[in-house]
Amino acid sequence: MRIRCPHCGERDNGEFSYLGDAAPVRPDGPNASAEAMHDYVYLRDNPAGLHRELWYHAAGCRSWLVVTRDTRSHEIHEVAPARDVALSRRRGEVA
Amino acid sequence: MSDVAMVGAEKLESIWKPRSAWAGYARAGRHGRTGGEAGITLTLRDEVGLATLIVADGKEAALDRALEASHGWSLPEAGRAALAGEEGLIWSGPGQWLAIAGTRRRLDGLADAVTGLASVTDQSDGRALVRVSGPCAREMLSKGVAIDLHPRAFRAGSAAVTSIAHIGAQLWQRDDAPTYDLAVARSFAGSFWSWLSHAAAEFGYGVEHGPGR
Repeated sequence: MRIRCPHCGERDNGEFSYLGDAAPVRPDGPNASAEAMHDYVYLRDNPAGLHRELWYHAAGCRSWLVVTRDTRSHEIHEVAPARDVALSRRRGEVA
Repeated sequence: MSDVAMVGAEKLESIWKPRSAWAGYARAGRHGRTGGEAGITLTLRDEVGLATLIVADGKEAALDRALEASHGWSLPEAGRAALAGEEGLIWSGPGQWLAIAGTRRRLDGLADAVTGLASVTDQSDGRALVRVSGPCAREMLSKGVAIDLHPRAFRAGSAAVTSIAHIGAQLWQRDDAPTYDLAVARSFAGSFWSWLSHAAAEFGYGVEHGPGR
């Protein structure tokens, strides 16, 4: 499997490390309910199909990326810098 | 520092001698396959000035202007190196560059020139540098680099951060000969030389010291 890093171009997946689902957003700690924290820490969807997930380009540009991957075929549909995703999320845009 | 101390420091011959990052691993001379022209030349690059720059948020244009004014350098795009002779800047990540110069002294004043625009960290003793040239340079590197080095994909002025033999490496192509420069963390010099010398052996390789020694 290869990942097209938006900074470095197409690279072998051995250069990356996998974190997991990119969807969870950390609840506001002191005010979050126990259920919300439990959900954030432990509960994950396991879709057969498109999955947005975090990868780290450890052996390259050392950037966090959000990769949209089809879990059935490993086909990669989109790779975006996690920084851009976080910034657009902060601005209230859907990301 | 007082003038007296300055004069004294210039006159003193230090007992400390710089040690090459490759000392104890690389030996000058011809190695590997015998007979015929060596396919690979490895030039050990010591006494090179190196520093990493990390730009402050939103200051890239200002940093570009400051570096142009102080050193005559311009910031290369992603995946590129902007070198004139032995000095310039090599892209190493988003908002990050490696500054290189033929001597350490040339980097004097770099941090002052970009105050408030970028963080500067001296890496002159932090990396081991080797220049790879010769008719088989591309073929040899292709054995260890998992990126496409074909001229259609990687050419003079191209730069990449990747890994070779599980060792983090930064490489950039200097010319179409082709000539490559490789930098690894200094503490990995021995392990990296183990890969490099074995990879080069089938082509026959010569090891020489670069300028500054």
